[in-house]
Amino acid sequence: MNDFIVVYSTELMRRIRSRPFQIGLLIGIVSIALFTKLPDLLRGAASHTTDVVLAAPAGVLDRAKTLLANDYAIVATTTDTSPPSAAALKARKATAWISIANANGLKVTVYAKDPSKNWGIAGRRLAPLNVALATDVSQARLATLMAVPVDVRALDAHFSSAAQADAAEGIAFTLLIFLYMLILINSQLVMSSVAEEKTSRIAELLVASISPVPLLYGKIAVATTLALLQLAIWVTVGILLGANGMHSGRTIDPGAMLGGGVTVTEIVSFLILFLLGFGQLSMLMAGLGSLVNRTEDLGSVSIPVVMPVVFAFILAIVAIQVPDLPWIVGVSFLPLVSPFVMFARIAVTDVPIWQIVLCVAINVVALWAIAIAAGKLYRVGMLLYGRAPNLKQVWQVIRS
Amino acid sequence: MLTVDHIRKEFGSVRAVGDVSFEIPTGITFGLLGPNGAGKTTTMRMILGILTPDAGTIAWNGKKVDGTMRRRFGYLPEERGLYGKMKVREQIAFFGRLHGLVEPEISQRTARWIERLEIGQYAERPCSELSKGNQQKVQVACAAVHHPEFLILDEPFSGLDPVNADMLLAVFNDLKAQGTTLVLSSHQMWQLEALCERFCIITAGENRASGTLADLRSAWATRVLRVAPGVEAVRAVLDRVPGATFVATDQDSVDYAVPANTDFSAVLRSLVGAADIHRFDAIEPSLHDIYIKTIGEAA
Repeated sequence: MNDFIVVYSTELMRRIRSRPFQIGLLIGIVSIALFTKLPDLLRGAASHTTDVVLAAPAGVLDRAKTLLANDYAIVATTTDTSPPSAAALKARKATAWISIANANGLKVTVYAKDPSKNWGIAGRRLAPLNVALATDVSQARLATLMAVPVDVRALDAHFSSAAQADAAEGIAFTLLIFLYMLILINSQLVMSSVAEEKTSRIAELLVASISPVPLLYGKIAVATTLALLQLAIWVTVGILLGANGMHSGRTIDPGAMLGGGVTVTEIVSFLILFLLGFGQLSMLMAGLGSLVNRTEDLGSVSIPVVMPVVFAFILAIVAIQVPDLPWIVGVSFLPLVSPFVMFARIAVTDVPIWQIVLCVAINVVALWAIAIAAGKLYRVGMLLYGRAPNLKQVWQVIRS
Repeated sequence: MLTVDHIRKEFGSVRAVGDVSFEIPTGITFGLLGPNGAGKTTTMRMILGILTPDAGTIAWNGKKVDGTMRRRFGYLPEERGLYGKMKVREQIAFFGRLHGLVEPEISQRTARWIERLEIGQYAERPCSELSKGNQQKVQVACAAVHHPEFLILDEPFSGLDPVNADMLLAVFNDLKAQGTTLVLSSHQMWQLEALCERFCIITAGENRASGTLADLRSAWATRVLRVAPGVEAVRAVLDRVPGATFVATDQDSVDYAVPANTDFSAVLRSLVGAADIHRFDAIEPSLHDIYIKTIGEAA
């Protein structure tokens, strides 16, 4: 136990001070900041491009202004509906001049710097006014009539409303990205750390001092700690920035997630499946990392274990849409794949408890088997220099 | 005492160590010799428990070497390695902790080793910024910070300038004086000869010779007799010594190989009668000679 604590404390400090960890943490923070603030920035930029001058006859101007206020920043109004000059547009620092004429119905002419923009929306917004002018029905009444409410009610479903289902999918998607990033980035850092110790030849000194087992497990424990630390920092940053960004049509909102959108089941299953998935992958990475003689070879060696994870992530995205598809249910029990797919299913549907228990049991057994195999590989691989072993030799080591 | 008893180690079809046995009494310096690929490093790794022998046993003071015992051992491998970004002081302290030291002992011992090896100016710098020689000194400190009972040093002088080599020589002698049993592997025979009391020469994974230098010399059949001046009269006397063969001559002296049991007093008396002798040496074989001959015979 003492060996484990010594390795853990030293490795933790070493890794926290290491550039890859600091850069990874920073990239995560910047990414979250972008996810959360980019929509606001884009909206700000977009609103700047819709500064308009509104020109309409006196009886129409105020009513039109009310209808268009949500879509355009109206910087000036005028009752002069004659075509403006470019200088007039420039003088008012506007990007377009919306001119409304009223003769047997409204007619809108837009004089724009960028005619490719969707100016047709102005016509749709003015439709109630157009009808109101042509009939006796009030403009407010017309606006109400034109917005027909649609109420979606779920029957025998996990969620009671479409909004709730959409929010859950967003949360599942967000957590999946976190899960994917944490597992993949940190397990590769474990691999790099192992390879660094081997290529710098310090490994022999280490295994001469203590057993390779606490050495390996100490590394994995440090990586797990740092991954959870990263997650905590990222979520905190998201909350502090008041996350409300968008990605692929889904809301990325850590603040809302912690504020009530995310369930206890999701948090618990996220942590358990993260620990299982990360444990499996990092053990494999450590075992494989001990086989390389040059850090340049890490990329090619890691492909066989990275591919299933990438595949699992894609399957998990499918699982968010169709969580109860038989083959999706089937793959949600596979080690390395299930941490992603089962989590996605738990987030968006009612997974029977026996399936969750079976999934965890399979993954615990898989973790145990991988830990033994990786331990053997690590023990032998760390002292193995020269030509890299072939698959047959690797298998012999694992079986020994 | 460390007892290595008929150990064997194979890696697949490759036999790294076939049959090696030796004993290292406590408190001595032991030289482990052999050409590259002889099985020295594998033997050392088995002693340290890094590798498990396929056959045979290794015992320290009568008990099988285990993890707890290994904590009291130290190791300086041939291939040097340090955490490049870790500071010198932290690195030494880390290995102290790995070997069971606790504060304030870690800090005290780390400081002592930094001072002893004259690397104080680098103590707060990352190891990667140090020269090869200073990195070597840091590694020695890492291997010995816990004051090991048993310390294995694989090529400890390689890459060191003479000043630093002398410093390490003094450090190893200090450790020995404090009771540490040392095992040295080196291709620098003169250093081994100066440091070690006992030797074992292995090649192709097997013992070829072992014992004290006197033991090894006793098995050597001849001695070199160097006599000056190397004039004709001297050579005439030497030619009459039973079993003597001419080896070489230079401007001043002449060398003859004679049987080890030659009566050197009688030869000297004969020479004094024949010429004005001003040099007469019966030269014992050096460790280098014994090593080369042993390896040659094995091949």
